[in-house]
Amino acid sequence: MASASPGAVTVAAPAAPEARAPRSLPTWVWALPPVAVLALVFLYPLALVVQESLAPGAYAGVLASESFRDALVTTVWLAVASTAGCLVLGFALALVIAFVPFPGGRAVAKFIDVFLSFPSFLVTLALLFLYGTVGMANGVWTDVTGDATGPFRFLTTPWGVLLAEITYFTPFVMRPLLAAFSQLETAQLEVASSLGARPIRIIRQVILPEALPALAAGGSLVLVMCLNEFGIVLFTGAKGVTTLPMLVYSKAILESDYAAACVVAVVNIALSVGLYVLYRGVSRRAGA
Amino acid sequence: MLVHSRTGRWTAWALFAVLFVPLFALPLLVIVAASFSTHWSGAFPSGPTTAHYTAAVRGESLQALTTSLVTAVTASLVALTVGTWAALASAAMGRRGRRILDALFMLPVAVPSVVVGLAVLVAFSQPPVLLNGTRWIVILAHTVLVTAFAHQSVSAAVRRLDPMYEQAAAGLGARPSYVLLRVRLPLLLPSLNAAAGLCFALSMGELSATMMLYPPDWLPLPVLIFTATDRGSLFTGSALAVILMAATLLALLAVSRIRTRASFR
Amino acid sequence: MNSGIRFDGVSVAYGGTTVLDHLDLTVEPGEVMALLGPSGSGKTTALRAVAGFVRPASGRVFIGGQDVTALPPYKRGIGMVVQQYALFPHLRVDANVAFGLKAQKAPKAEIPARVAEALEMTGMAAYARRYPRELSGGQQQRVAIARALAIRPRVLLLDEPLSALDARLRSGMLAELARLHRELPDVSILYVTHDQVEALTLADRIAVMDKARLQDCGTPQDLYRRPRTEFTASFVGNANLLPVTVAADGVLFEGAELKVPAADATPGSTATLCVRPHLVGLGDGPNALRGRVTEVQWRGSTHRLYVEVGGHRVKADVRELRETPALGTEVTLHFAPQDAVLLGAGVADG
Repeated sequence: MASASPGAVTVAAPAAPEARAPRSLPTWVWALPPVAVLALVFLYPLALVVQESLAPGAYAGVLASESFRDALVTTVWLAVASTAGCLVLGFALALVIAFVPFPGGRAVAKFIDVFLSFPSFLVTLALLFLYGTVGMANGVWTDVTGDATGPFRFLTTPWGVLLAEITYFTPFVMRPLLAAFSQLETAQLEVASSLGARPIRIIRQVILPEALPALAAGGSLVLVMCLNEFGIVLFTGAKGVTTLPMLVYSKAILESDYAAACVVAVVNIALSVGLYVLYRGVSRRAGA
Repeated sequence: MLVHSRTGRWTAWALFAVLFVPLFALPLLVIVAASFSTHWSGAFPSGPTTAHYTAAVRGESLQALTTSLVTAVTASLVALTVGTWAALASAAMGRRGRRILDALFMLPVAVPSVVVGLAVLVAFSQPPVLLNGTRWIVILAHTVLVTAFAHQSVSAAVRRLDPMYEQAAAGLGARPSYVLLRVRLPLLLPSLNAAAGLCFALSMGELSATMMLYPPDWLPLPVLIFTATDRGSLFTGSALAVILMAATLLALLAVSRIRTRASFR
Repeated sequence: MNSGIRFDGVSVAYGGTTVLDHLDLTVEPGEVMALLGPSGSGKTTALRAVAGFVRPASGRVFIGGQDVTALPPYKRGIGMVVQQYALFPHLRVDANVAFGLKAQKAPKAEIPARVAEALEMTGMAAYARRYPRELSGGQQQRVAIARALAIRPRVLLLDEPLSALDARLRSGMLAELARLHRELPDVSILYVTHDQVEALTLADRIAVMDKARLQDCGTPQDLYRRPRTEFTASFVGNANLLPVTVAADGVLFEGAELKVPAADATPGSTATLCVRPHLVGLGDGPNALRGRVTEVQWRGSTHRLYVEVGGHRVKADVRELRETPALGTEVTLHFAPQDAVLLGAGVADG
């Protein structure tokens, strides 16, 4: 900027058409310190992980192993199923909060915000009390039927992880949805219903199109977070459920096989960063 | 309003309650209830006690709490500084520079926390910087993880900041550094507070990267909760979890109080 | 202190669109210049080029004879007041007013007195300890003006300062601004507005802008009585613009010969005749026009008649009538030859 001659044509982005005041230092110099910090503590370590994964035979060994392929399949289907569950549940719940208001609705919305700030493993911990072998559900069952054990044993299976992930991540879908719904003019709904449209029709033709960008943004965020989820799986303690992050942990910490851990990590990064880029694209288009 | 008939409304509310209460309200209630009990074999917990809490406020548990608090506060402060600096620098840059910078600082959100832990472990277990086995490696990883969120929320706030205030200040003869200190940062204060709360909560509950890194003398609360539940002490784990939630909530509450005092409009 | 502003061929472009096209304009020391034009006319861009918030693609800007084109805003010694006030919400009124003094490192001992003086001048001394959000719109505007005056600027830039106020407050503030200017005879004021009443009331001269260009410049009376372009004629005050053909001793309009001063116009050429509606009378007289009444509007002290004269609508503002002519009746309008202005620019029918 300082070197720009007075006669030079100012080329500015349409969003900020104003020319900036001349400065003594070019603006990018100010970006150097934080970038240097980030490079040292994050980019350089990440590069080392990629480098380590390139150890001879590491990729071949890991990609051929059954445990890796199982983990990949489990991770992806769990993430996809959880996301689908979150979208359906989140849409339904947000719909009621926004359009069938009830006393305490604001408190519920506040509760959702608080819920987001708690760690994910708390949900698994709670599920242990609810559906664990000696938990509430089984306890009620044995009390009522007199059986020695209850029928609820899904907690250590992928279904337990699925339930926990849907529970924990649904608020992440609800928040952007509630924001989108608050932008929707109630006049639109009133006009639609005055024209004789029934609720289902209004949801399909008025609300859903408006909610689509928020659903897409929230859904892809949840998908990424599910692919990366570790705490829920760890707390389940299920030997049968191994996801990619879990595999990274067990290879590195339990087996001290760093090369293999790095290979799994690179695959996991590729998967989630690819999706995250997609998410950013979607949410930018949605104006989020 | 979407549903006009009385029965329709009640149906919607009933459906909401049926889904919401067991899925979201019940888990938290269950943890709280369990933290005050000694047994849970049946429909309800039994053997009311506060022993888990008396145990939780001394020895190992108390140390874990202070470890978590120190880690969270340090990581949040550093993350806030770096994230805010990056957000301000990116706002001053051209479109392309801004894009690159924002993408760089968003990256830790997309990379799995476990992998961040692994990367930090790999990088700082070897020279030139040896941090493995020290508390600093945990704090470092937490800082990396929360910086992305700090940057994200602060840069959103910087974008929302009306340029008319900076221009008014510049028109009154204030140089850019004066404008930053006296106008922009004070106006960003509410958002900075919110970002600090977010960072603190995230760091308090961080488990994935921590599991890869924690040394025996720097055991944060989530790790302790895991080891407790892993060896079957679910009730102790619950009490610790309640303490974790309470500490997080208190911090968020404190931050939101500052925010209301400092919000100008 | 050197005041005065000079634009020397200033052009500004945003990504290929020219928003200010080669502006040449001088504001004399102590003069109030209104930049009047519709939105998008480039008037605000011109003001922001003086403030330093936009950088001209070409041309130079001078303040008090000094070339400030390359100077950042904070080195230009300007005071600026914008439409939305831009009071710092986190500072009290007195701190807002003191902001510029502190930023420019004025001697500490002087600051309270100068803040008090500026607040006194704008009648806001009683509100020094309030926050901006506790003030009404008009009070916020006064504080914004006090803040701009406290730094004793060479030039004062006012960007639509009254447009956020309601009509009653606006006329009060207009008188206030006129008084302030009398108290600060050395300060040049550049006043951007789209409101002709503000421009006519306050300005020593008016620069009329449209489509990124300066259209006309002169004293309010001059522009009102002798507009040089159709745009000026219709934007400053109301105007009947009639397409005419220049004749030997006047002009021809719809076959009728009208006597108007047309000294240098070439006979046979087409031109536009501008007559202010309030100078058109009802009844017979010189320069009579016969037509049919198409609409009558009562406006309190006057009646506005719309009369169709051979396919053209002529507006006449006449003193309140006891009996309004029925729609469709034939009436005669007239105007004095000296009240009409012949505009050379081509023909605009419609």
